[in-house]
Amino acid sequence: MQPNTLVVLLGTTTLGLCCGLVGSLLLLRKRALLADALAHSTLPGIVLGFLIAGSQSYWALGLGALLTTLMAALLVSRLPILTRIRQDSATASILGIFFGAGIALLSIAQRSGPGAFSAGLDHFLLGQAAGMLQSEAITLTLSAAVVSFIMILLHKELLVSCFDSSFGKGIGMSMGRIDLLVMLILAVTIVISLPAVGVVLTAALIVIPPATARFWTDRFNRLLTISGMLGAIAGAAGTLLSSFRVDLPTGPVIVICAATLFSISLVVAPHKGLLGKRLRWIQRKQRREMQRILIFLHENLQSGNDFVARERILAGSLNASSSALRLCILYGYTEMAGTHIRLTTEGIRRAERSISARDRWIQWLDSEAEIDRNLIDLDEEDIEKLLDRKSMEIPPVDKGAAL
Amino acid sequence: MSETAIEIHDLTMAYREKPVLWDIDVEIPRGSLCAVVGPNGAGKSPLLGCVLGTHQPANGWIKIFDVPSDRSDELIGFVPQRESVDWDFPVQVLDVVMMGTYRRLGWFRWPGKAQKDWAMECLSAVGMADLHSRQIGELSGGQQQRVFIARALAQDAKIILMDEPFAGVDAATEETIRTVLADLKKDDRTVVIVHHDLQTIEDYFDHVLLLNLRLVAAGPTKTTFTRENLLRTYGGQLTLLDEAAEAVRRIRSGRSIRKSGDL
Repeated sequence: MQPNTLVVLLGTTTLGLCCGLVGSLLLLRKRALLADALAHSTLPGIVLGFLIAGSQSYWALGLGALLTTLMAALLVSRLPILTRIRQDSATASILGIFFGAGIALLSIAQRSGPGAFSAGLDHFLLGQAAGMLQSEAITLTLSAAVVSFIMILLHKELLVSCFDSSFGKGIGMSMGRIDLLVMLILAVTIVISLPAVGVVLTAALIVIPPATARFWTDRFNRLLTISGMLGAIAGAAGTLLSSFRVDLPTGPVIVICAATLFSISLVVAPHKGLLGKRLRWIQRKQRREMQRILIFLHENLQSGNDFVARERILAGSLNASSSALRLCILYGYTEMAGTHIRLTTEGIRRAERSISARDRWIQWLDSEAEIDRNLIDLDEEDIEKLLDRKSMEIPPVDKGAAL
Repeated sequence: MSETAIEIHDLTMAYREKPVLWDIDVEIPRGSLCAVVGPNGAGKSPLLGCVLGTHQPANGWIKIFDVPSDRSDELIGFVPQRESVDWDFPVQVLDVVMMGTYRRLGWFRWPGKAQKDWAMECLSAVGMADLHSRQIGELSGGQQQRVFIARALAQDAKIILMDEPFAGVDAATEETIRTVLADLKKDDRTVVIVHHDLQTIEDYFDHVLLLNLRLVAAGPTKTTFTRENLLRTYGGQLTLLDEAAEAVRRIRSGRSIRKSGDL
């Protein structure tokens, strides 16, 4: 590996971290589209910078990009306040107008100048990390590090501004300043990511990591951390993969890496992943079914029928699933005797336990004013644990009326 | 400490050119449980916003415990309208309550164990300590309201503003919120609530502020919540007029019946 690749790798990794952090803020403010609009609005700035400076100096192009993207940010935030245009329309319009202007300028630059494409301007469309100079990569690393540091320092204020900005104003935090800072951070992040990821795909690197992180956590700090880490991984992996084949643009490869992480999380994340959800649903369903079978058999036992025909369990009023019945046998709660089923001693104990837990639970629910949706459908084990913790203290029902 | 918690003088507020509050002059005494009542668009939420400092009045001023509101260090708690909160937001109950400590912490500093303990204490005060690690969307309506009340307690707010805490909650939840309100009043806190249900004003609040862009009347519920004042508040709006008349009739005739029924 060449030393230059190593510097570039460091650059794209910190860039990924930075994008993941900034993206979390946009996700939580429901302004993900803003990233796309601002990224596209850098294009006219890049070309203008090139035309004015007459060369593709990093600073000229970067400054131009920063100027037009800030102009776009100003328009997107002011238009809905000053006119009747809604925010999403304003964002979409600005994206189109600026990008269109950028493309038009690009073809002018190509005809008049020494050839914009030969000057490498097309690399800004999709990103070409391998072509980055060492100085560019170092600037990129430093800027990304500064942005990340600011965000970590201000995470408390950022949380308030995302969650409840009127509360923030009420306690004297200057929400206007924070909003401005977020815009500025976003603009800088977009501009520094252009050489690596490009105008078209920067938004994806900003939006996908936080959306992925949302699968893994319900807390703000962790969302920032995980999103930053996912961004860093995508940045590093994408750069490595695209450096194996130089003709592969870095931007798309980084975005594909981020998307892969997203797909994996979508399926395997423990609480919100599709797989976990499905499995939990099946398990709950199966256990409810087993409970029904055990209670049914227990009722029969009370009225003197030790053995119940298999058909009566699988059809008739109970209509239980055969897989649940197999599970009952597997766990040793019931046993087969020819075509008939009966409870084992273990099964009787289990059935009695579940009946008594159910009764206690209903008694508790009757005494509770508020029924908690997360807590109504429980197993006997959970009910026992919960009621023992609350030591069955049933509050007086008329506690409000005593005022 | 002064007997007047909130003093509003000559307050006018406008969105662009349209006035939403006009020439409001009112005092809300300390320790009162005050309802802000008026038709839709009467400027109830903007009034709370002005007291909280999120809205800038065009003219006039507000004093909090005799200190002009922009210089006041007094923390004002705010319980937002249910629909205005993003319940999907990745915060846990304890995180929300900890926000109440942020002002005292100041910029850049991170909350530590002391803040966490204090937030837990405030959660216990509203009976929610058990649920501190829940994501806020997993709570029931009454529990959600209580989280924000706990945040106001964590601010050690002497004044708490609530925007329609009773909107769309069931009877049991309403009762729970009332219990918490009674506790707040016992603590000598001043609570100002935007309220829509004219039927319950008499039972829940000791002060009332009738608003319809201008201030119609304000004062103790007994003397202020009258038929004449309600008719002036709800103007020519017929259905509302009927509702108001119905509420007043119920109060006039029903109060004696219920009082004797309680005994």
